[in-house]
Amino acid sequence: MPTLRIDQREISVPQGTKVIEAAEKLGIMIPRFCYHPALGSLGACRMCAVKFMEGPVKGVEMSCMVEAADGMVVSTTDPEAMEFRRYVIEWLMLNHPHDCPICDAGGQCLLQDETVSGGHGLRRYQGLKRTFEDQYLGEFVQHEMNRCIHCWRCRRFYQEFAGYFDYGAMQIGNRMYFGRFAPGPLESPFAGNIIDLCPTGVLTDKPSRYKGRRWDLQRGPSLCLHCSLGCNLVGSARYREMIRVEARFHGAVNGYFICDRGRYGFAYANHPDRPRQARVGEEAAPLDQALKTAAQRLGQIRERYGPGAVAAWGSTRSSLETLGMLQWLCQDQGWRGPQFFPQASLARRVKAAVARLDTGMAVSLRDLENADFIVVAGADPVQEAPMLALALRQAARRGATVAVIDPRPVFLPLEYEHLPVSPGDIDLCLNLLSQAARSEEAATGKLEPDAARFYGLLTSTNLEDPLLQERLLALGRKLQDCLRPVIVCNTDMVRETTPARAADQARLLQADKGQAGLFYLLPGPNAYGAALLAGREEVDLLAAMEQGGVKALVVVENDPLGSCPDQERLLRALDNLELLVGLDYLPSATAARSQIFLPTTTVFEKEFSHFINQEGRLQQAVPLHQGGTPIIQVGQGSHPPRTFLDAIPGGEPRPGAGILADLAAALSGEPAPPTAGDLWDYLSGEHEGFSQLASLTASALGEGVHLLPAEAQEPAWSPEPGEKPPEPPAGQLELLLVDQTFGTEELGSYAAPLQKVEEEPHLLLHTDLAADLGLAPGEQVALLLPGGEVTVRLQTAQNMAPGVAIMPRHRRLHWQKTGDGPVWLPPENIKKLSEPL
Amino acid sequence: MSTLPPELQTELAQQVAAADHPREQVINIMYVLQKHYGYMSDEAVEEAAALLDMTPLEVEELATFYDFIYREAVGKFVIHVCDGVVCWMFHEGSVFDYLCEKLGVCAGGVSADGMFTVLPSACLGFCDHAPAMLINGVFYGHLNPEKIDAILEKLRREYCDLVICR
Amino acid sequence: MGEQVLLLNRQPDRPLSLEEYRQSGGYEALMAAVGKRTPEELRQLVLASGLRGRGGAGFPAGKKWSFIGKGHPRYLIPNTDEMEPGTFKDRVLVNVNPHLVLEGIILSAYAISAAKGIFFIRPSYEMDAELIERELGVAREAGFLGENILGSDFSFDLVVHRSAGRYICGEASAQVNAIMGRRPHPNKEVHMTDAGLWGKPTIVNNVETLACVPAILRKGPDWFKGLARSKDGAGTKLFCVSGRVNRPGCYEMPMGTPFNEILDEAGGMSPGSELKAFLPGGASTSFMPPKFSQVQMDFEPLKETGNRLGTGAIMVFDQNTCLVGATLNLLDYFTRESCGFCTPCREGLPFIRDLLLRLEHGEGKEEFIPMLKQMAHHMFKAYCAFAPGAASPVLGLLHHFEAEIREHISQRQCPFKGK
Repeated sequence: MPTLRIDQREISVPQGTKVIEAAEKLGIMIPRFCYHPALGSLGACRMCAVKFMEGPVKGVEMSCMVEAADGMVVSTTDPEAMEFRRYVIEWLMLNHPHDCPICDAGGQCLLQDETVSGGHGLRRYQGLKRTFEDQYLGEFVQHEMNRCIHCWRCRRFYQEFAGYFDYGAMQIGNRMYFGRFAPGPLESPFAGNIIDLCPTGVLTDKPSRYKGRRWDLQRGPSLCLHCSLGCNLVGSARYREMIRVEARFHGAVNGYFICDRGRYGFAYANHPDRPRQARVGEEAAPLDQALKTAAQRLGQIRERYGPGAVAAWGSTRSSLETLGMLQWLCQDQGWRGPQFFPQASLARRVKAAVARLDTGMAVSLRDLENADFIVVAGADPVQEAPMLALALRQAARRGATVAVIDPRPVFLPLEYEHLPVSPGDIDLCLNLLSQAARSEEAATGKLEPDAARFYGLLTSTNLEDPLLQERLLALGRKLQDCLRPVIVCNTDMVRETTPARAADQARLLQADKGQAGLFYLLPGPNAYGAALLAGREEVDLLAAMEQGGVKALVVVENDPLGSCPDQERLLRALDNLELLVGLDYLPSATAARSQIFLPTTTVFEKEFSHFINQEGRLQQAVPLHQGGTPIIQVGQGSHPPRTFLDAIPGGEPRPGAGILADLAAALSGEPAPPTAGDLWDYLSGEHEGFSQLASLTASALGEGVHLLPAEAQEPAWSPEPGEKPPEPPAGQLELLLVDQTFGTEELGSYAAPLQKVEEEPHLLLHTDLAADLGLAPGEQVALLLPGGEVTVRLQTAQNMAPGVAIMPRHRRLHWQKTGDGPVWLPPENIKKLSEPL
Repeated sequence: MSTLPPELQTELAQQVAAADHPREQVINIMYVLQKHYGYMSDEAVEEAAALLDMTPLEVEELATFYDFIYREAVGKFVIHVCDGVVCWMFHEGSVFDYLCEKLGVCAGGVSADGMFTVLPSACLGFCDHAPAMLINGVFYGHLNPEKIDAILEKLRREYCDLVICR
Repeated sequence: MGEQVLLLNRQPDRPLSLEEYRQSGGYEALMAAVGKRTPEELRQLVLASGLRGRGGAGFPAGKKWSFIGKGHPRYLIPNTDEMEPGTFKDRVLVNVNPHLVLEGIILSAYAISAAKGIFFIRPSYEMDAELIERELGVAREAGFLGENILGSDFSFDLVVHRSAGRYICGEASAQVNAIMGRRPHPNKEVHMTDAGLWGKPTIVNNVETLACVPAILRKGPDWFKGLARSKDGAGTKLFCVSGRVNRPGCYEMPMGTPFNEILDEAGGMSPGSELKAFLPGGASTSFMPPKFSQVQMDFEPLKETGNRLGTGAIMVFDQNTCLVGATLNLLDYFTRESCGFCTPCREGLPFIRDLLLRLEHGEGKEEFIPMLKQMAHHMFKAYCAFAPGAASPVLGLLHHFEAEIREHISQRQCPFKGK
């Protein structure tokens, strides 16, 4: 721990700390441009010069380039250092266009701040400014190259940190140009981060362009709901419109960055068709009145058919408050449910995963970056949870081996090994990997009895493809020497056995190496919470509705018509209902079909809400504004609006939890259902995973807490690890429904900026298989599914499992025709419709 | 799809494959493509990227850095006029101006006959023969208008195949 | 002229052949070293010889070699970028005796156990690149290069890397980036000797430095030290003399030869020219007025005057040359060649250039002088040695020729215009 003095104040810092970081710990912000904690030191901007008065380094040096050492005496205010810094800022401003009044970075611009703090006020340079032509960089990032001060942050993030190479530095000297080879959309799904990183207005947020100065915005800490990772955000609203989202630092989750889905998905909150008014039948109604009507109708049905005739269906995108209240309501009223997942098999997979997590096994995204061997089983990170890919890249940059066992043509922005096997073979691959990683004797000799017994049960069937088998064994041998392995597993497209199997293998690795991690992806931002609430009991509302036992369905922030894989069946079941009550903030098909509709708020509005990410971390989203129809929509572009009301237009929606509480009160006639404080008490009694909740202080909730149990709920080892999951009938294909970075995720599919960048949906087949079937890429094909026909364009790939057909759950594709569970498909069910375009 | 002649494509692919590290061939590849296309055209950048398993941007990052890679069309002969301080001492820019006037071009432009481009160049290392210029790998020193005229005439007459980096 | 070591047997119109070189002891050092002496012995001999880098920085070669890391393969990069204005000694050296250069490279590779050499050469030296490539083949035929050199277990081969220009490529770490197909910006974060080319131990040496090695091994470090005329100097130096002299050219003279003797060797000042100033070692050294005529041309004596030996490229200016104009020309060059990586170099040099341009055009103001001084001094806090080099002639101008600047200001024009 070197001890040094900076501006007469002493501090001890860990070995390897740079002086600029040591100063920051003392609260001294040394000016900087190129240095960034996530990107490290570069030494290019020369802005962080300080004077080293005593110690091993002497004179004016860059504080980002010098490691703190014992005996150093540093002055940040020395006249020579200050004069140099003043010159640096003067040089940087030579060519800067001084267009702050029309620059979106104005007011949130490091260059402005450092110009003032550097003491550069008078322009002495009389030469001409060099100018550049800007490029179109896609729908997210606005380019204004004249403002560039060449700090390198964008390129370092884009290429080194994130691993994409379509954006960089061209030319030389002060003509150096940051951009693309040719104008066009940035290819990286992390491109938006260069906006946050840019110290001035070269790269600004395009969708929010000219929409307000920072001080005009209602800003606050929020959470990303566009996958299960729970990245931290800063949200900004103005004039009742969600304007912009930036990354918010979280040391264990997302670091300094977020993906573009998380950055631009928020726009669902501004959707012009967002239902903001309560409705009874076709008629708009005040919310409290519609709520009363709903209570009345639900009460009637309960009276007529019994409490089990009412069922509730929620989703994993609701806050813990809403989920908990829905659970309480069902218990209080004796309703059926709630069901939280679109289909029963998914619920089982998620529950199996969550039951295996404990403090000893679960790793955060940050932990993952320090792993030295990562097995990604049944996951396609860029498509499903992009920030996972960024963490994998950091691990790879530190030397980790990354092996992906997945049928899809997985792309990762890093060096990795991909084994394209069908979902049915993933468990086997994990077995083989385990076996190759340790010899039998080593295993039985070294491992504790339970682990050794499990190891003994692993089958050693070989993979059909000897080449894949060999690659897998080679990976296993590499795993032998690794010390900090992690298994990553999604719960989406894998067999039901796989999440548990991944946990077994991780536990085996832990028994062997003393250290190993487990990292799941779950379907939705609050899937962890939903899985805990769902408990062991299985609810299958669809079946119950079909059987006619359900007469009224309360659908809370959920769109079964969009997410249930068998829409025909669902529609028939819905026809059996006497009443459909919908609560939502999305203009979904289910919302539209509801006979009584009650509008809810988004995560950005009115009240605090909490979500539990896939590693059991409870996090808080702070409301940014009171909601209501954005002024730009009310005024139809004109401002100020010409009608004057005493209520906020479109301001009626309330948090789902509050509406459910009032519904409960109206149903029971008792005025006091659990309020927020009591809700935590209620939840902590509901599941041991929630037991901490009752004792949490407000500040702990604000910071977020890890809810993981010390020991996983489920026994450590699956009883039959050798059991092979179901195989497709000979000669048939398995249809896999998958996610895409843009276009499949529910909330984001209502966000206008994301709609602009989503890829066309495609059916993906192995190149050889397509050729065998006489199909060519680009052709329209008809896919005959159990629930009917889907028309889709064909794409082919070499690096995918041969026996599968892959289709995204794309918003522009009517894919809900498969039914639950694996879908087997005879190849002749794929028919050519037209020649390629 | 590649527009290179198949033989050249194969030759370059082999050159890349034979390298310990393909990327160390990037400048060599650019020189060959520059010679083939006459300059490092957009197409050439894309060809180089494909050959080297790089993105066009990565090639462009290099192509635009170096002054002997021409990203814009040039004449058959590129005249690099030394503007080092010693040459400056002797001609104070007049060689460059004379050439431009003689050929009717400005810096970087191509003469009407497509033969010449004049570029100012970093000290060529021919200071003992100042003022100097470099054309097609050959130095010409102790320049004066008469000598320049004769050199241009000779180049026009005896057009020869270019050495690799011109 | 003194003893010729590097330019021995110089022919006016052609390089020496392998046979000619061997007749005067060529490759004897190699035969005596490979398999007979350990690399460590070679490193010690070169360290003892006091050989300092001839590329500009003057770092002791033996010391640099002693830092070589443990990894393999190791790389040796003979640096023939020679982009320092006024410098053409490496071109002359390669053209006089390519095999001396090659023997020096092979011996140095042996000393650091390098498996591969990359001969980095600037594009304007294409003819010389071809020459070296041809002679490489000759040396390989003769068994001096390639697998199991001279039957030993030492294998080393050399390839020519053609650069595509830019001054910064002469900087060792930028040069390594250039070879790896990356943008050639300098990189101080890695130690070349541990993690240079492709992350392996790498030594970058100027070819003149390497060409000294065969003679050091043949005749011993003491002999080499004795060649110099300065107190702590060693060896001979290739001095490139250009500008207003009678016989501009490259002359091999003892390290530490006084400037005026080198000037005499180059035939003295041109007719009608009087010495006004000289740059002792390329564009990135500082102007010196005639009072320094006696200065010994070596690293330490020049350092004592606040200047640098640089590459030993002497540029001679006479009374009719405007030094503001000359400095402007140099700054034009440095501004254009700046790689753009760090702020002082990328933005500060154009600012300095702009002030010089205004001075030269008679738009100068008194306040430019302190600004120039401050900025030139601050250039020394840039990332690499480029900007300090660019600032050196500016500082020389300000220090010794401030009166000339003031004439530009007071006369509102360049006093040399129309003369």
